[in-house]
Order: sequence, then structure tokens, then C-alpha cells
Amino acid sequence: MRSIPRVARAFAVAGALTLALAACGGGDDDTSTSGGDELVTVGFVAVGPEGGWRQANEANVQDTFTEEAGFELKYAPATNLDQRSQIDAFTSFVDEGVDVILLSATEGAGWEDSLRRAQEAEIPVILVDRGIEPDDTSLYVTRIAPDNYEVSTAVAEWAVSEFPDGGNYFVLEGPAGVSVVNERNRGWDDAVASVPGLVKVGAQTANWSTEEAKSVFETVLKSNNNDIQLVFAQNDEMGLGAAIAVEEAGLTPGVDVKIATIDGTKPALEALAEGRLSFVAEYNPLFGETLLEVVEQVLNGEEVEPYIVVPSETFDSPEAATAALPSRKY
Amino acid sequence: MTDVASRLAARRGAIVRNQAFWGVIAIVLLLAVNVVADPGYLSIGYNSGHLSGNLIDILRASAPILMIAVGMCLVVATGGIDLSVGSIMVVAGAVSMELLSGMDGTTGDAALTLAIALGIATVLGAVNGVLVSVVGLQPFISTLVMMLAGRGIAKVITGGQNTTADNDSFAWLANGYVLGVPVVFLLAIVIVVLVALLVRRSALGLMLEAIGMDSRASRLAGVKRRSLQLTVYSVSGLLAGIAGVFATASVMTVDVSRTGYQLELDAILAVVIGGTSLAGGKFSIGGAVIGGLLIATLDKTVVFLGVPAAATPAFKAIVIVVLCLLQSERVRSLFRHRRALRAQSQKEAVAA
Repeated sequence: MRSIPRVARAFAVAGALTLALAACGGGDDDTSTSGGDELVTVGFVAVGPEGGWRQANEANVQDTFTEEAGFELKYAPATNLDQRSQIDAFTSFVDEGVDVILLSATEGAGWEDSLRRAQEAEIPVILVDRGIEPDDTSLYVTRIAPDNYEVSTAVAEWAVSEFPDGGNYFVLEGPAGVSVVNERNRGWDDAVASVPGLVKVGAQTANWSTEEAKSVFETVLKSNNNDIQLVFAQNDEMGLGAAIAVEEAGLTPGVDVKIATIDGTKPALEALAEGRLSFVAEYNPLFGETLLEVVEQVLNGEEVEPYIVVPSETFDSPEAATAALPSRKY
Repeated sequence: MTDVASRLAARRGAIVRNQAFWGVIAIVLLLAVNVVADPGYLSIGYNSGHLSGNLIDILRASAPILMIAVGMCLVVATGGIDLSVGSIMVVAGAVSMELLSGMDGTTGDAALTLAIALGIATVLGAVNGVLVSVVGLQPFISTLVMMLAGRGIAKVITGGQNTTADNDSFAWLANGYVLGVPVVFLLAIVIVVLVALLVRRSALGLMLEAIGMDSRASRLAGVKRRSLQLTVYSVSGLLAGIAGVFATASVMTVDVSRTGYQLELDAILAVVIGGTSLAGGKFSIGGAVIGGLLIATLDKTVVFLGVPAAATPAFKAIVIVVLCLLQSERVRSLFRHRRALRAQSQKEAVAA
């Protein structure tokens, strides 16, 4: 099945070459750009539908690597966040011999063999957003991402300034084992340690989901007799779920329980403007341009840094959120 | 003397053999563990016009599972299986949120949306039914196809995004209270009771079981296999649609990759814990309800006890495995069997 399009492509390439040669023979001899006309194939092993942030990020990448810009982007989202399907897509990109692979891993561990195969095939791999574990920088060219550690440190610094006398807090995490979760936890834990009064009453995963976060947090409130002042939700969706749970418990989010989230999607900023969330740290998804530059550098054989940080903002008040909302793209 | 003793033993045996009994024991044990962790666990409070408490939360959380478990129970009775319930949930949720997000938020809109979402869910169930009964595909394969296709359909409907909407009437279905009791649980119980009456007060249940035992014999006996299978898969689709509405209405957001994800496994688990054999030919709706309640209790217990996120799946698995071992006739008879063997070998030794 697969061989047919390949044959067709071979014919197409042959046809194009013939045309190019014919053009050469026709007149001006400056067409040494036979390489320039060809599209660079980019395989994007993506996460797929996961939330507003991912949606914005992957749409941005797709909008950047267009045919007008000289790229043919092959977008391969994971099936229901399953790593197996990502590895399959990755392997088929290697077999196909694409020019460069972009990888947003759903899970950090277990990528060594696949990355080595790409290395043997001399296909550069650029990690987009998600890192791999263990973080062996020799296996990939570079990782481009906002810094999870910095972003969650920013949330923690806000928490420290908001609760100088301490309080009880709860953490709503993503699925266990994902690098984002580990990094966001580290950033938070390191910064919060400076206020001994801030007590962690627990942490649970809600799988990035609003529905699960609501269900988890209503039970957490009961098991702690509503004695929780702060929630650190590792993404917007879970923070919004926690806000609903707080309202249903008869408390007021933003007053009785302050909720801080990471991502900075539109619904979260709207909730911040209404005072239902108290702090939103952006985790900037729109770095397609940076990615494009890096891909070009890599293809030209230039050296790039193993880790490129995308700058992000924070929003700490309803006013800041209201000001940012009109220009929000995701 | 021996007569009374043997009768007592027989009755005890009947209770112990009833698999749902072990489900009840497991629920009671889990609740007991929670009470040990916090003596106030079972208390039910009354605030701002409705009952509140951990038990109420469990009832609310169990509603979607009850819906899909009852549907699964009927399908399993005919010797089939429905792997698509989780995906039909997300389709129903996606349809509702997508429609509501373009509407004004009136009660009429909510009713219309509900009808359309449930209609589509029923149609998807009916497609399963046609594939199984008319085309004659294996239920496992037909519903597996629908399971994969359903999530795809949901993604197409919302354009791959997680859609959010506002409609108070729709949200009331999942979050409201009637006489202090959660609407969602009342609805679930009413539907369960209706289904149970329908299949057990008529010959319908027996017919389903007949199909599950021996489909050819049932046809010779005059059971309309095709139309019954079509009906059963459609009902399962409809119930999954209701579950999807419950799940999405509680947060008014559909999460295309998470809503209903792998809930078909929970439904199968609930059905099996309730004593319905996956081989078909017998079913227990009461058992499925107990199974559903057990799963909800287990989910809530994990959070209440603060089991670390990484250890949660292992914790759940251990509870389920122990429960299944206790339920297993063979495991229980293994002990009896070994005792009998020993007695026999002693007898042989004496004879020799």
C-alpha cells in the first residue's frame, strides 16, 4: 500500500527535475536552486487534543510550517495521549526519512531506542515543549519550551507573598510520570519551602481534566473540613474544576480558597477577571517562530543551545487579566 | 440437629455464593476504612438547601457509572459486550456542549440539546446493534470499531477542542438538588428501576438470557434475536448518552480526550462484580448497581485517604483482585476440594 505513493512521488520528483532541466536549457542559467524548490519535510509527533494550551501550541506550529514557508508538515497526534501510538508515528517518520522530527512526548520515559534510531538515520530531533527522561541531551538536538521550573516558581513566589503567615495548600497534578508534572512540582516545592507555615495537605492527579479535578477537590475539601486556603493547579482546566468544587461546597473561590493555575488560556483569564481564580501563570504556547528559526539553523548545520527557553508572563489580578483578554489568541 | 445445621450452612452458602454480596462487603469495608481515617466521614450535613457529605458525593459520582453499567449488563446478558460506551459518552457530551455554546441558555435550549444528544447516542448504539444482529459481526469487534470511531467523531464535532458552554438548566441535571437529594442520582435510580422493571416484570429478561445461552435454540423457541439485539445495543447507547450528559453537565465542559475515557472498563467491572457472567445467559441489574457504587466508592476513597497519585492504580487493582478472588467459586472450592482430597486419601490408606 505504502509503496504506491512512494512510486508516485518518485515520478513526481523525476518530472519536476525534467522540467527544471528543460527550464535550464531554455535560457537563464541561474537555476542552481533545485534544492530550494523542494519542500523540507517535517514530522511532528504531537500530543493531540489535551486542552486549550495544547490546541494553541499545535495550531501555532502547524500555521508556521506551511508550504509557503517551504515546509511539508506531517502532523501525527497521539491516540488518546498514548505513548505507544507516538512511538509508532516516530518510527514511521524515521523509516520514511523525513528531514527533521519535532517531538512533544506524552510521557517522558522510554524514548531512548526511538531517538537512537533517528540518530542512526541522521534525522535531527527537536523536542517541543515536553522533555524526555532521563534527560540525555546527546539524543536530541535541542528542546524548545517555556521553562516549567521557572513558571511554577513564579506561581510559588506569588503564593509566598500572598500567604506570608502560611496556610494549607493542595496540589492538583497532571498524570504521574510526565516530565511537566515533575518539573512543575520541583519549581513549586523549592520556592514554597521558604515559608514553613505553608503546609501541603496533599496532592492528587486529576489527569489535566476539569471533571476529574472537580470530583477530586470536592472530596479533598471534605476530608480537610474545608480548611484549605490555596490550590496549586498545574493546568487551567483543573483549576477551573477546583473552582466549581469550591463554589459547590458553599465557599467563595478567590476569598476562602485561592486558586493558582498554569497555562494562561482564555477561559482561565476570564475566570481570573471574574475573581474565581487568583493567579494565572502563562506557559507561552506560541513559539512557532522560534521553532522555525531553530529548524533552519539545524538544517544548515549550525550549532544550537540544547535548551531554548520561551519567555512567559504572569497575571496576578482581575485587572491584568481584563487587559490581556482582548489580545488572547488561545 | 444436623438438619438445622445443614440448612443454615446451605443458606449461608447461598449468600456467600451470591457475588453481589461480596460487592456490598467491599463497599462496607471501604467506608469503614474511611471512617477510621476520619470518624466524621459518614455524617451528612444540610447546607444551603441540600444534603452534603461524602456519601452524597459518592452517589453523585456513581450516576454515570450506573447508567453505562446497566446498559452493559443487558448487552452482556445476550452474550455480547459493548466497548463503545465511553466513546458514546464523549459524543453525547460533545454534541451537547457544541450546541449549547451557540445558544442563549434557556430551558428550552437545554431540552432540545438533551434530545438531540441522546438521539445521536441512541443512533450510534443502533449502529452497533445492526453490525451485531444483521451483519453478524462479533460484538467485540463491532463495538471496538465504534469505540475508536466515537472519539474521532467527538473530535470532529468540537474541532478537536475542549468546548465549554453555559446553561443553568443543563447544569442542573448534574449539579442540582430535589428535596436536598442530587438530581443526577435520582435520575439514575429512576432509570435503573425502570429498566429493571421492564426486563424482570416481563419476559424480556428471560429472552435476553435465552439469546445469551444459546442463540440458535432461542430462535427455534420463537425469540426474535435480531430485533432484541438491536434494541439492547440501542438502549446501551442511549444510557451511555445519558452518562455522557451527566459527566459533561457537571462541569459544562467536554474534554474530548478524557470524558468517558476507559469508562467501558469500569462498566464491565461493575457488571462482573455484580455477578453477571461475561459468557452471557444470566444477568443481575441489582448486582451491576452494587458494582457501580463500589467503583464510585473506591475512586472517592483513594482521594479521601490521600493515596499518592502514583500508587492509585495499584491500590485500586489490589482491591479489585482481592474482591474477585473472594467471589471466585473455584478459589473457595479449592480449600474444600483439598480438604476432600485429604479425606479421600486417608480413606484409601485405610482400605489398603
